[in-house]
Amino acid sequence: MNILVCIKQVPDMEAKFAVAANGVWYDPTDLAWRMNEYDEYGVEQAVQLKEQVAGSDVTVLCIGTDKAKEIMKKALAMGCDRGVHVADDEVFSREPYEIAAIIAEFARDKGFDLVITGMQSQDRGSAQVGLLVAEMLDLPGISTVVGCSLDGDGLALSRELEGGVRAKVRVNLPALFTCQLGLNKPRYPTLPNIMKAKKKELITIAVADLLKVAGRQATTALFVPQKKGGGLVLEGDPAELADKLIGILKEKTTVLS
Amino acid sequence: MNATIETIEKEILRGGEYLITDVSSEGVFTPEDFSDEQKQFAETTEQFITNEIVPHIEEIDHQNFDLVVEGLRKCGELGLLMMDAPEEYGGLELDKASSMLVAEKIATGGSFSVAYSAHTGIGTLPLIYYGTKVLKEKYLEKIISGEWCAAYCLTEPGSGSDALGARATATLSEDGSHYLLNGTKQYITNGGIAQLFTVFAKIDKEHFTAFLVERDFAGFSVGPEEKKMGIKGSSTTPVILDNCKVPVENLLGEIGKGHKIAFNVLNVGRFKLGAGVMGAAKMALEVGIKYANEREQFKRKIASFGAIKEKIADLTSAIYAAESLVYRLAGLLDEKLATIDKGSEDYYVRYQKGIEDYAAECGISKVYCSEVLARTVDEVVQIHGGYGFISDCPAARYYCDERINRIFEGTNEINRLLIPGMILRKAMKNELPLQAEAMKAFEALMTPSFEEVDDTIAFAAEKVLIKNLKTLFLILAGAGVQKFMDKLADEQEILLAAADIAIQIFALESAVLRAEKSTPVFSERKRELLKAAVTVCAFEAAECVGTAARKAAFYIEEGDTLTMILSGVRRFAKYDATGLLAAKRALAEAASESEKYLFG
Repeated sequence: MNILVCIKQVPDMEAKFAVAANGVWYDPTDLAWRMNEYDEYGVEQAVQLKEQVAGSDVTVLCIGTDKAKEIMKKALAMGCDRGVHVADDEVFSREPYEIAAIIAEFARDKGFDLVITGMQSQDRGSAQVGLLVAEMLDLPGISTVVGCSLDGDGLALSRELEGGVRAKVRVNLPALFTCQLGLNKPRYPTLPNIMKAKKKELITIAVADLLKVAGRQATTALFVPQKKGGGLVLEGDPAELADKLIGILKEKTTVLS
Repeated sequence: MNATIETIEKEILRGGEYLITDVSSEGVFTPEDFSDEQKQFAETTEQFITNEIVPHIEEIDHQNFDLVVEGLRKCGELGLLMMDAPEEYGGLELDKASSMLVAEKIATGGSFSVAYSAHTGIGTLPLIYYGTKVLKEKYLEKIISGEWCAAYCLTEPGSGSDALGARATATLSEDGSHYLLNGTKQYITNGGIAQLFTVFAKIDKEHFTAFLVERDFAGFSVGPEEKKMGIKGSSTTPVILDNCKVPVENLLGEIGKGHKIAFNVLNVGRFKLGAGVMGAAKMALEVGIKYANEREQFKRKIASFGAIKEKIADLTSAIYAAESLVYRLAGLLDEKLATIDKGSEDYYVRYQKGIEDYAAECGISKVYCSEVLARTVDEVVQIHGGYGFISDCPAARYYCDERINRIFEGTNEINRLLIPGMILRKAMKNELPLQAEAMKAFEALMTPSFEEVDDTIAFAAEKVLIKNLKTLFLILAGAGVQKFMDKLADEQEILLAAADIAIQIFALESAVLRAEKSTPVFSERKRELLKAAVTVCAFEAAECVGTAARKAAFYIEEGDTLTMILSGVRRFAKYDATGLLAAKRALAEAASESEKYLFG
């Protein structure tokens, strides 16, 4: 089985975020970075399928700055066979349609039997990329997958729906699915495999070679919602309270004027 | 050709040399230099400990040793037991920086980390360094896969620090096929769970020698578990040798050379202990910071009070120095060891010699880092207030678990004595021009200085301080040697003070060199914090050295020379720490905001 798994590097979500100077994204300064959690399940699933089907090959793809290679090396240490790094310093300004178009452009004509993505990224969280890629490549796209097993020539998938309901889906290959948290238990890369991954192929492609579309939407502002004012509790005897209340209403509102 | 080799060798700072030379930050290894692979080793270790060990610490501390054995086996699967083993036996032979990084991350696993460290360190290293091919083929795979657990038996009821005073004996059988071992070993880490023991005994009551002993050998038994103050989930038992039959091929190294094995393994062990306790200190600090952010008194988070802020800032800075020291030493050892041809017959002999050269620095790692941890857990209990004294509080466990670190792998006193001892021995062997440098230092003492700090250089004031502290060390070491000559070894109080000075210099220098080297990779904000941490480190080092130096001066000298040296202490331990309070507050506020150790 020829598998493509797409991953993204995101900040550690425990970090304190600040809005960047451009006002449309967060400031990346001093943040710790890791593999998007949803994508870790994708890598694990790809490797598990590879282990089940002899002769399989797993390509991991990541769009990002040079730093993104860190998580690609982790994916290779987890068992992916080769890496494709799409070098893009502007990755944070790309909207989902552009990201999907880059992936689709790369994957087209490569004969992938299966494309796996995370359900969403932990930072932008659009949950669009996977399904857009499926559409662009004219593949059946299955979202929110929490179970995956081989079923003849295809896959038997389990989807998580709202309210604790599950759906079983069968799909023939080629296909694409997006991973929900809990799909499997991502392995820890072992030390020997981390060392072996150093020797695996990791090629870099310039984003300009793959990005053939223009963005169709733009984020105009990123902001922290203002906290709603807390309630005010007045204490004292009733007469005093009434005076205080009237004072506040006069001062802060127009209802008594 | 020779000249080239000489220059290459010269570039690597030799053991003890830091005390007599100006060191540039250029070649210093820092945590900011970790490769992507090393970062992954750390991540795998951290996730393993967090997910598979930490949830069971309580159970492990109730001596459910099955969990420890199972944990070690999982470590084996992840490759965490094979880092030091040679490739031809399935090992990875990773550099010291990698193995220190893993030790640092393992350390958050409480008692489990002690079992792990004893297994991979003193348990495994004698076999790797001194085992014959036959022994390695027989045992190494079992050890690095976690199938077998390993232990090291040196201490006896009558011999602790005086390790060579061991009374256990080994007698060759009449047919020459095996040795009969007799004696009792005490406080053996992993005693209850190990299958393979490195046991030290004297052949014919005279020749101190190491043996590899299997748990199932006839005449071998293990006594009851000790009831301990801390690290309760690590097995500690006596080992009883009652005519224990050990095949002659299980003799490790050479007859009568057991002390080499015992001490060389301890060098790496001490170094690694430093890495481990530094990791434990980071974790304890983090718990302290989080609690200070939650706990309210006087209607404020206690993290907002200066009394708490100062603790957080001081600990952050001390841990920064500890971390800088550990990885700087890892870099030095890795550079040194990389010059040895792995294929050579005497690889491990030269490897040992390479490490032995840094015995003083290995001792420094042990003493400095374990005392940083001691201070950290003490203050973290304090931050928790009354709750910190309740056994359920993690801070209470950290406090109890910490204590042993200042005792095992050579007490901090033994290590302190060893630090100036090693340096003086090198001077005697003309490996370090200590005497010539001490003369220069005395001259400096008698020459008034008009040296001004050049503000255009990064960390200029701290660099001048380091230089001056080195001068101070040389003055006192010179005075001590002159007065007591070869009897200096008997003046332990003086040696302890000299050790404090040498330790502080190495720690501060490591912190400053790292800060200088890593400044470009940090953001503007982080750079300010880095400067703040260096200021705190420099102030503390100057104070500590000042006290130790004054003490040593009173111990060694009297009259005019004493007066002169005391004025030298005032001059050379001087540090202008302007902005110290602001530096501490900035550090504490940043640490509280991120709820983490700031620099790792």
